[in-house]
Amino acid sequence: MTHALAIDTTSDYLSLAVLRAGEPAGSHYALCGTAIARTIVQQIGALLDGAGLAPEALDVLFVGCGPGSFTGTRIGMSVALTLGRVLGRPVLGVDALSIIAAQTDPGLGGTFHVLLNCVRDEVYHAPFRWRGGEVEALAPIRLTTAARAAAEIGRAPCLVHRFGSVQPEPAAPPEIAVQSASEAPTGTAVPPEIAVQSRTAVQSRTAVQPETAWRPGLAALLAGLTSAPLRHAQPDALRLLAVGLPRYLARPGGPFEPPAPVYLKSEAFRTWRPQSEAQP
Amino acid sequence: MSAPPSARAAVPSARASARPAIGLAIDTTFDDTSVALIRGRREVLADLTLSQVAAHAEFGGIVPERASRKHLEAIHPLLDHALAQARIGWRELDYVAVSNLPGLLGSILVGTTVAKTLAWVLRRPLIGVNHIEAHPYANFLVHGELPFPLLHLVAAGGHTLLIHQRAHFEGEIVGRSVDDAAGECVDKVAKMFGYPFPGGPEVDRLALAHAPGPYSFPRPMLHDGSLDFSFSGLKTALLYFLKQQAGRPVAEGPVIAAFFEAVMDVLVTKTLRAARRFRTAAVTVSGGLAASRKLRERFEERAREAGIALYYPPARLCTDNAAMVACLAAYRYEAGRCDGLDLEAYANLPP
Repeated sequence: MTHALAIDTTSDYLSLAVLRAGEPAGSHYALCGTAIARTIVQQIGALLDGAGLAPEALDVLFVGCGPGSFTGTRIGMSVALTLGRVLGRPVLGVDALSIIAAQTDPGLGGTFHVLLNCVRDEVYHAPFRWRGGEVEALAPIRLTTAARAAAEIGRAPCLVHRFGSVQPEPAAPPEIAVQSASEAPTGTAVPPEIAVQSRTAVQSRTAVQPETAWRPGLAALLAGLTSAPLRHAQPDALRLLAVGLPRYLARPGGPFEPPAPVYLKSEAFRTWRPQSEAQP
Repeated sequence: MSAPPSARAAVPSARASARPAIGLAIDTTFDDTSVALIRGRREVLADLTLSQVAAHAEFGGIVPERASRKHLEAIHPLLDHALAQARIGWRELDYVAVSNLPGLLGSILVGTTVAKTLAWVLRRPLIGVNHIEAHPYANFLVHGELPFPLLHLVAAGGHTLLIHQRAHFEGEIVGRSVDDAAGECVDKVAKMFGYPFPGGPEVDRLALAHAPGPYSFPRPMLHDGSLDFSFSGLKTALLYFLKQQAGRPVAEGPVIAAFFEAVMDVLVTKTLRAARRFRTAAVTVSGGLAASRKLRERFEERAREAGIALYYPPARLCTDNAAMVACLAAYRYEAGRCDGLDLEAYANLPP
C-alpha cells in the first residue's frame, strides 16, 4: 500500500497532501502568496508528522509542474526533486490543466476543456475526457489566444482558472477519495465540486475585476462561452494525487520521466530584446 | 538577517566528536550554480560551479527568469557530481549551508529551497549565509587564520563594499557603492566597446597591455573623505567621451587602460584610507574584480608603500563559488550559529 506526498505550488496556494497506505491521511491548503518558500518545508514536516510517516517511508512523490507561477512552480519542484534524490524515490510530475480537469465529474461524457489564464490576453488550453475512471488529455497543452480557444471550445463544457480574480476560493478543498485501479474500493467516488458557479455568476464577478477589465480578449471569451458549465478551479494536491497515483500504480517500478516545469513561455525569450541594445 | 536557531530534533552532535564536520554549501545568488563540500574549515572536498554565461550570451547580460530556470536544471546533477567526487553519501553531511542573500530573488529561492529540504530530510542544521560576507572567506580558505581586525574590499558584480571585521561574525559595512558597483561599471564599459559579458577579463587584458597615454577619466568621490563608492558617473564619462569622438577611430587600449586606472585608483585609495581609519594591519580583496591581475599589481604596490599586509584569493575563488560559502559556514557551524527551516531569501543586503 502506497505512502505518497503530493506538492502543488503552481498557484498562490500552498497545497500539500499525504497518502498513507493508499488512503488520504492529511492535507494542507492555504493562500500563501510569496510566503510559500518560507513555510513549505515546515508544513511538509508537520503534515507527515500528523500522518505518522517519516520521510523515508514515502514510496513516491507527486508534484504539480505548471503552467502557473514560474517562481512558485520552481519552489515545489525544488522540494520534490530534492526529496526524490535523497530518498531514492520516483518523482512524478502532473501538469496544472490535468489537475484542474480532475475536478470534473467522472461521469461527464465527451470532450471538455480546461483554460488557464496567462498574461497578455493569452490562455493555456487543453481538451480532456474521462476514460476508465481517469482523466485523459486529448492534446498537449497549448498557449493560444483567448479568441482562438473560444472558437475551438464552442459549446463544450469548460473549466477556467485564474480568470481575473474570480472568487471565492474555498478555505480548503473538500476531501476526495483517491481512486486507483488497484486500491480504490468498488464504486466510483465522485469528486465534489470545489465551487460551481453559473456562467452568469462568473461573468458578473469578472465584470468588476480590474484585472479582466483591461483584458478585453478574456472578457469576450467568457461572454462567448454561452452554454458551458463554467467552474472556477484551482490546482490542489489532492487532485494531483488523484491524477498521479494511477500513473504510478500502473508501473510502480518506473522508469518515470524526470519532471520539468511546464513553462511554454520560453520561446518568448527568443524574440525579446533588452532595451539597452537600442542604445549606442 | 538570519532567523534564530529553531528547536531541531535529533541533530547528531558532530561537534562533540573528534571527526571534523563535513558541510555542503550551495550558492545560486546570481548566474552561476555552485556547490561545495568542505571538511573542517578548509579542506575542500568538492567545489563545482556551472556557469550560465553561454545561456545568456545573446542578451549581453543576465536574464533573471532564465537564470532561475537554469539553476533548477543544474542544481541536482551538480549535487550528485559533488558527492561522487568527494566519495561521500547524503547521510555523511553534518550541516547544509546556502547563500540566502543578496542577488536575484528567483535564483536564490531555488538554492534556499533545495538547502532547506536537504536540512529537513537529513535532519541536519541549516546555515543561511550572506553571499557578500562569504567573499572574504575565500581568503580564510587559502591563507588560514588572518589577523583581526581586518579590512575587506569586496568587489563583486553587484556590490562594492568595505567591511571592517573585528572578529568572526563581527563585521560592519563601512563603505558601499551608492549606484553602480565597480564590477558592474567595468562590464558596462566593456559592452560599450563591443566586448561580450562579462567584460572584466578583457578590460584587465587591455589594462595590462596598454598605458593610458593622454587619456584620463574622473575619480568619483575620491576626495570627499567618505568610504562610499560611485561608479555610475565614470561610466557616463566614458559614454560621452565615445560620443564626442563621433565615429573617429578610438585608441581602444589606452582609453580602456585609462578608464581602469580611474577604477583602480578609487578602489585602492579608499580601501587603504579605510584601513588607516580603522587601524587594521591587514587588508583582503575578494569578489569577481579581484581576479584582475592589473588591480592586484596596483594593490600590491600601494599596500607595500603603506606597510599594510594584503591578502588575495586565487582567481578561481574570486568569482562566485560555493567554497567560500562553505568556509564561512564551517565557522558558523562550529559556533552553533544555525538557522531555522523558515529561513528567508532576500534580494538585497539589509540597509
